[in-house]
Amino acid sequence: MSEIAITVKDLVVRYRKLNKFSIKKQLLKKHYKDKGPKTFEAIKGISFEVPKGEILGIIGKNGSGKSTLLRTLAGIFSADEGIVDMHGYNVSLLSIGVGFQKELSGRENIYLSGMLLGFKEEEIKKKADEIIEFSELGDFIDMPVNTYSSGMHSKLAFSITAILETDIMLVDEVLSVGDEKFKKKSYAKMQSLISNKDRTVVIVSHSLGSLEKLCTSVLWLHEGEIKMIGKPKDVIAKYREFMK
Amino acid sequence: MKRFITDFRNYFKYSIYSAKSALNAEVAGSYLNWLWWVFNPICMMLIYTFIFGFVFNGKEQYFPIFIFIGLTLWDYFNRTVSSSVRLVKSNKAIVTKVYLPKFVLIETKMMVNFFKMLISFIIVVAMMIVWRVPISWHVFWIIPILAILSLLIFGISNIVMHFGVFVDDLDNIIKILLRFIFYATGIFYSITDRIPVPYNHYMLRLNPVAYLINEARNVLLYKSAPEWKWMLIWLAISLGLCFFGVHKVYKFENSYAKVI
Repeated sequence: MSEIAITVKDLVVRYRKLNKFSIKKQLLKKHYKDKGPKTFEAIKGISFEVPKGEILGIIGKNGSGKSTLLRTLAGIFSADEGIVDMHGYNVSLLSIGVGFQKELSGRENIYLSGMLLGFKEEEIKKKADEIIEFSELGDFIDMPVNTYSSGMHSKLAFSITAILETDIMLVDEVLSVGDEKFKKKSYAKMQSLISNKDRTVVIVSHSLGSLEKLCTSVLWLHEGEIKMIGKPKDVIAKYREFMK
Repeated sequence: MKRFITDFRNYFKYSIYSAKSALNAEVAGSYLNWLWWVFNPICMMLIYTFIFGFVFNGKEQYFPIFIFIGLTLWDYFNRTVSSSVRLVKSNKAIVTKVYLPKFVLIETKMMVNFFKMLISFIIVVAMMIVWRVPISWHVFWIIPILAILSLLIFGISNIVMHFGVFVDDLDNIIKILLRFIFYATGIFYSITDRIPVPYNHYMLRLNPVAYLINEARNVLLYKSAPEWKWMLIWLAISLGLCFFGVHKVYKFENSYAKVI
């Protein structure tokens, strides 16, 4: 357990305001000024490490920077300051509605998502049937994704990331996807994925009960800062008290 | 630069697959399927031949093919550049969920449009056979011409895509600009013959699209070799634009997801 999978050091992520402008607005309103600060710090200098094989839960109220943190770990956002080091492991972000190209079929999207996660076409080919079976989509798999219901959409998304296993999984609020049956199935799959000793998982969720069961440690994020990090039981108890 | 090469290699297959799927999806969406890729340019060519051949009395040699070559290259340029303005926004679903080098989006778009252009070129060849256009070995110059055009498009698209993320109404401006370039490029008239003497020289050489289209016509229809000096100049400028564009995109691509 001594190997470190994720290192985050003094991480700051800022959102810049006034980054977008339109030429029309510039011409019409000469005194167009945005009051308030120009940047907004979503994450204010946090540091932590996740050892390989650990399951880290992240909790915190809405807008505390949880999703921003996950996206930064996934490499979608860059760190404005500080370091995020995934030590060369491949990472996948599992969140409601993976990036699908809406006009393409489910099958094509499996290949495209797989390739973006760094898999080779042959590797995906081997696993494609398993993904389709797990997603329970049946014949719909060859229909364009924009004909899918939201449930089917997230079932496919979940199946892709769950079957194409990456070293580090980042999970954003998807512990309950689809109908009752699929929920149970995906929960079981999650548990088996998570219990793999080689896999490192970071979960963001509001369902404290399941976090308490799944995680090996929990990080409590409050307005961009770490309020507490430690054993799930202790942190969640404190958090529950705080939220009252 | 090194990063660009590794990224290019790593994501090349993704681009191809994505372009193939996009073409498939387009075919699946309409009844006439891929025939539209053939019909659309032919109809445009017929319209322009009618208007400018009969109404405005254009009398360039092989006028329909003359127009068709212009349209084919122009469509490749126009489609890619105009779609690159909103490219990041229209791929929001992917951009906010997984990291990919953003130039890959352009690469994919270019492959789609390049493929459509190839179909048009098959028609060009067919027309050249029907009209019995005499050819010389100069026709092979079309390959470097298309290569330079592709580099030019890639460079411009990267720059346009970058600013398109931050400037809300850039697509209006790009549309107007492209329309202007369209008329200035001489798709349906010959710049050399129609524009008075000192100006046609500049119009042909300072507008890369006009220059490349003109040379494409020269090598395919009129058995003449391109001016290699200007080819090299535009090759250098295109490479410069690519370098600048990719550099810019690399520098800012991480903040794209925050803005859209």
